[in-house]
Order: sequence, then structure tokens, then C-alpha cells
Amino acid sequence: MKTNSLAFRLFATAAAWVLLVLPVAGAIIYSLYRTEVETSFDRRLSVLLTVILQDGIDHGEDGPGDPKDVGEPLFEITHSGWYWQFKPLDVKLPPSKPPDAKAANMKPSEPRVPRTLKSRSLAGADLPLPSEFNIDPNDREIRWANLEGPLQQWLRVAETIYVFGEGKKAKRYSVAVGGTLGEMEASLGSFRTRLSLSLALAGVGLLAVTLFQIRFGLLPLHKVEQRLAAIRSGEAVRLDGGLPQEIEPLQQELNALLKSNQEIVERARTHVGNLAHALKTPLAVMVNEARDDPSPLARKVAEQAELMHTQVNLYLERARMAARIGVIGRVTEVGPVAESIIRALERIYRDRHLTFVVECPAGTRFQGERQDLEEMLGNLLDNAAKWARTKVLLTAVPAQSNGAPATLSWLQISVDDDGPGLTPEQLAEPILRGRRLDETKPGSGLGHSIVADLAHTYGGQLELQRAQAGGLSARLTLPLAV
Amino acid sequence: MRVLVVEDDRDLNRQLVTALTDAGYAVDAAFDGEDGFFLGETEPYDVVILDTGLPKMDGISVLEQWRRAERNMPVIILTARDRWSDKVAGMDAGADDYMSKPFHMEELLARIRAQVRRASGHAKSDIECGPLRLDTKTARVTLDGQPIKLTSHEYRLLAYLMHHNERVVSRTELVEHLYEQDFDRDSNTIEVFIGRLRKKIPPHMIKTIRGLGYRLSEEGDEN
Repeated sequence: MKTNSLAFRLFATAAAWVLLVLPVAGAIIYSLYRTEVETSFDRRLSVLLTVILQDGIDHGEDGPGDPKDVGEPLFEITHSGWYWQFKPLDVKLPPSKPPDAKAANMKPSEPRVPRTLKSRSLAGADLPLPSEFNIDPNDREIRWANLEGPLQQWLRVAETIYVFGEGKKAKRYSVAVGGTLGEMEASLGSFRTRLSLSLALAGVGLLAVTLFQIRFGLLPLHKVEQRLAAIRSGEAVRLDGGLPQEIEPLQQELNALLKSNQEIVERARTHVGNLAHALKTPLAVMVNEARDDPSPLARKVAEQAELMHTQVNLYLERARMAARIGVIGRVTEVGPVAESIIRALERIYRDRHLTFVVECPAGTRFQGERQDLEEMLGNLLDNAAKWARTKVLLTAVPAQSNGAPATLSWLQISVDDDGPGLTPEQLAEPILRGRRLDETKPGSGLGHSIVADLAHTYGGQLELQRAQAGGLSARLTLPLAV
Repeated sequence: MRVLVVEDDRDLNRQLVTALTDAGYAVDAAFDGEDGFFLGETEPYDVVILDTGLPKMDGISVLEQWRRAERNMPVIILTARDRWSDKVAGMDAGADDYMSKPFHMEELLARIRAQVRRASGHAKSDIECGPLRLDTKTARVTLDGQPIKLTSHEYRLLAYLMHHNERVVSRTELVEHLYEQDFDRDSNTIEVFIGRLRKKIPPHMIKTIRGLGYRLSEEGDEN
């Protein structure tokens, strides 16, 4: 997927959205769940606190008694993580004392020293209290805090102050219940893992669906791309086939454009042809008239008329080339064009009994206008036929050309004759307009330069070499239609 | 030799007629496709010069219709349309040669000679018959290397006989091929010219084949 493609844009947007939304959604869901879990944990602790306090009140006289009806076995298991504690306030005494041993030593007359009562699970350790950490009570007079308890257990502790007894005997106790956060954290952790996994799966699923959606949605554009390529390569002349509603106007416009393009070219060609006809006949008259007259004026006229003819040809050719620029999608099979020209040449040169040989694999196609190929092959074959002794050979093969862009496929057409050929000096000279290497044979001297100009228009080239048979070999490199 | 020129441009037509007449041909001219077609269909021409862009009926159609009617005289297309597609179309329609305008009159004449020679089965530009030698390029006849002075009508007659030597040529054929359409066709004039020719070349070379016509022959036997 290229970075500047529509598909990439769509996919990147979708991916960014998924990457942004899913983690945020995960965080929100997790936080809601956590709040819920914590609230229910707190509610449980709060219930336990109430139950234990009530139990303590029920079983004590002027102080709390050992709660017996809590019904929670976890308070009985050592370091289970669930603890309770009644701790008298306003006394300076060692907080924990085995009740029996010290109580035996106490004098009965002395007022009973308030004891600290603890759940068996604490195993004599102290429950850390929120009040010791200066935590303020909430509106129900309960202090909440997460504190480190025995064995480095993190505990959620709920503590309230309760006054036992009345009047002078009134004693304040800190009543606290602690529950381990470990279970809750473990359950939250597992929830988090499952949540992340589900969301990640959902994300991958969404991206996959997006990808499919993009591919499916952009399929018509791929079709358009392929059909345009077909037009370019000349297999089609218009954009056919059903396309989605959104790009149908584009299709219509494109077809109209292609049509008008072709019409413009046809019109230009017709006009050029008409102009040629209109100008050349009067020129022929002038030249013939002037040639019969020996006066200097007639010579001048003849000379200038020849010049005009050259100019007319030059600009007609340019006009034809200009009309050709921007025309896409023409493909011409080489074989039939060569055959038709050779058929004409065989007729023209039938007294010479020349052998024309065409070596061209069937289906070898030139990427360009038929008329242009006719012009190029016509000039080369005609020239070869003029000079050949017995044989003219045309070969057309797909080839790699040096110097030309390697991205295109090239077609190499050679026209060889077994005539006298050119000298190395003549071969080295550039192909110039109107330069005739031999003035004794009829011709305008435009042949090779027209071919070279046309080949250049197509990004190809014309080279003159020595043929194997001894004559001239004109090598034409042109774009190959694949 | 009789030539038909079909060309709608009056000036060019006139130039062609003049040049061809000067070169010793009997020339008819047509200025549009219909007239041209009619002449080509009814008269026996040795060569036709045909323009393609003609009023009433274009040259290619004229040519195709002639060929369909089995009129097989050599046709040289003379046109301003010099694209190879036009040439191929012209040759495919049955033309024998193709020239684009503007052209050199000498080249056109050379090509006409080539077509005439080809039609009569001669490969070279010089046609020989015994001591007689016809140089078609210069329109000169020599006898044993010595040039003979001929009038244009005498030349036409001798050239035609030399092109078709060793063959019996009827009087009608001679009349048809030597004179323009509007010429007074009295076959007696042929006899007059034959008589004059016999004074300029060895008289036995032109044999009169009674009831059939004449034969130019190297041997000159008494048959």
C-alpha cells in the first residue's frame, strides 16, 4: 500500500481511530469496573464493621466483648487477610497483652484496664489504623484507608470510634475491620488482562474489516486503472463496463474526451491532407512552367518553388506530428503494415525482380499510429528497394535498446538491402533533412530524416549501419506494445 | 503510344499534355473522374496518368472500376497525397506506379516509358530489332548506328511497331494507339505512313500481312 494512495489514507484514518478509541474505551471500562468492585468491597467491609461492632456490644458489659456471631471463618485463620480489632483509646498501655496472664496479676480493686480485642487471624499483630495516619472520617464517621498490615499485606481498613458505657465509665474504642486488597487486585488484574485481550482482538478484527472494506470499496477504481492502462496500450479505445454511480460521470467525461481527442486528430489530419493537395498541385504547375523557360526569372521561380515544396513538406510533417501529440492508445501490428507496403513496392519495382523477406513474429505490435509506422517502413523499404540488387530484408524483433529508458519495451526493426551501401564516412554523418547521399536516384532526400523525426517523436531512433549482406541496414528503434 | 491524362488542374493538365505530346505520345486529356473513367474504359491507352483528387469521382474509384472491368493498361497515379497509406491504397487499387506532386517532368516521362516497355515485354530502355535501334529515353531511332530523321507521326508508328516487333499489329490497333481521340481516323493514313517508313528503313522489315495488318520483323522473310 503506497503512502499517497487512497487506500492508505482510509486505512491510516481507520487505524488511528481504532488505536485511539480502543485504549480509551478500555481505560473507561476498567475504571468503571474498578470503582464498582471497590464500592462493593467497601460495602462488604462496612457491613462486617457493623456486624462486629454490634457483636462486640452484645457480648460486652462496659467494654466490647469478643464478638462470637460474625460467621466469617476467615477471621479465624491466621494471616488470612481478614482482621478485626477493638482498641481502647485514651489509655497508655501496651496495646496488646495476653488477656489471661496480665489480668491475673491485676488487682481487682483497680478499675479494669480496657483491653484490646483482636481477631485470631491477626495472631497478636496490630491492625494498622487510619486514625493513626490522620485520615479524616467520612460523613458516617468511618475512616477508610489502604494500609500495610501483617506480612506486608495491603489491607483496606475501615475504622470507627465507638463509646462503650455511660457517664464516667464511658470509654472510647477504635473499632476496625481490615480486608486484604490482594484478592481484589488479583481479580481486577485478571479482568484487565481479559479486557485488553478482548479489545486487542476487536481492534485486529476492526482493522481487518477496514482493510477488506477499502479493498472492496476501491475495487472499481482498480478496474478503472486497468482499463485506462488498456486504453494506453491500445487494447481499448474507450472506458467500457459498468462502474459505480460515483465515478460514472468521470467515465462519461473520459470517454467524451477520448472521442473528441480522436476527432481532433482526424480533423487535423484531414485538413493537413487537404492543404497538401491544395498547395502541391499549384507548386507542380509553377515548377513545370518555370523549367521550360530559360529566363533568369523562371530559374528563380523554379528555385523558390522547390524551396516552398520543401517548406510545405516540413511544416505538413510538423503539423501531423503536432496532431499526434497527446494521442494515446494506438497499437499497430507490424507484419500487415510491412506486407502492404511490400505489396505496393513489389508492383512498383516489379521489373527488378527483388525478393522481399519479412521476418516478424506474428503479433509484434508497435505502440503508435498506423500511419506513422507506414511512413517509416515505407520510406525505409522504398529506399532499400531503390538500392538493392536482389533482396530486401525486414526484421522486427522485440529488443532492449541501449540509451533508451529501460522501463519501456522496445521494438527493433531493421531494413537491410544488398545494394552498394554507404561508406563509413557517410554512415558517420548525421541524418539531415534534404541531404541526398546520391543525387542520381530519384527522391526528395527527405526519407531518412522523416523517419528519424518520426522515430524521435516516439522516443525511438534511427541508425544507419552496414548490413551483413553488404548494403545499408537501417535500424529503427520504436516502442513495443506489450 | 497513346496516353490518357486525368487531372483536374487545368494548368497542370495542359503542361502534361504538352510535355507528353513533345515526347511523341498521342495524348487525351480528361478533367474530372467521370470523363476520365469513360475514356479509360472505351479507348485503348498504353499508359494513364491519374490524379486522385478529382471532381465527380475520385481517382481511386476510377482505377478500381477500370480494374473491375478488366481494363489492365498501366496506370501511374500522380497525386499530392504522398503518405504511404495513400500510396498503398493506390497500389492496392491496381496502380502500377505512384508519383507525388510536385514532380519532375523528366521522371514522369521515364516512368511512362518504363510502363510502356513493361507492357510490351521489353526490359531495357533500348529496343533493338535487327539493324534498328530505338532509344526510348531520347525518342531517337538509329539504323546501323546512324540516326534516322522521322516526323512525330512516323516516330509514333515506328516506336509502336518496335515495341511490338515480331507480332502482327492490325490497322485498327495502330489507329487506336497512335492518334488522339478526336483525330481523323482514316486508316488510309496508316498506309501512307507505312510507305514513308519503308523508305527510311530496310523496306522488307515491315511486312504487310493481308487482312490482318503489319509486322515489324528482323528477318524480313517473304511470308
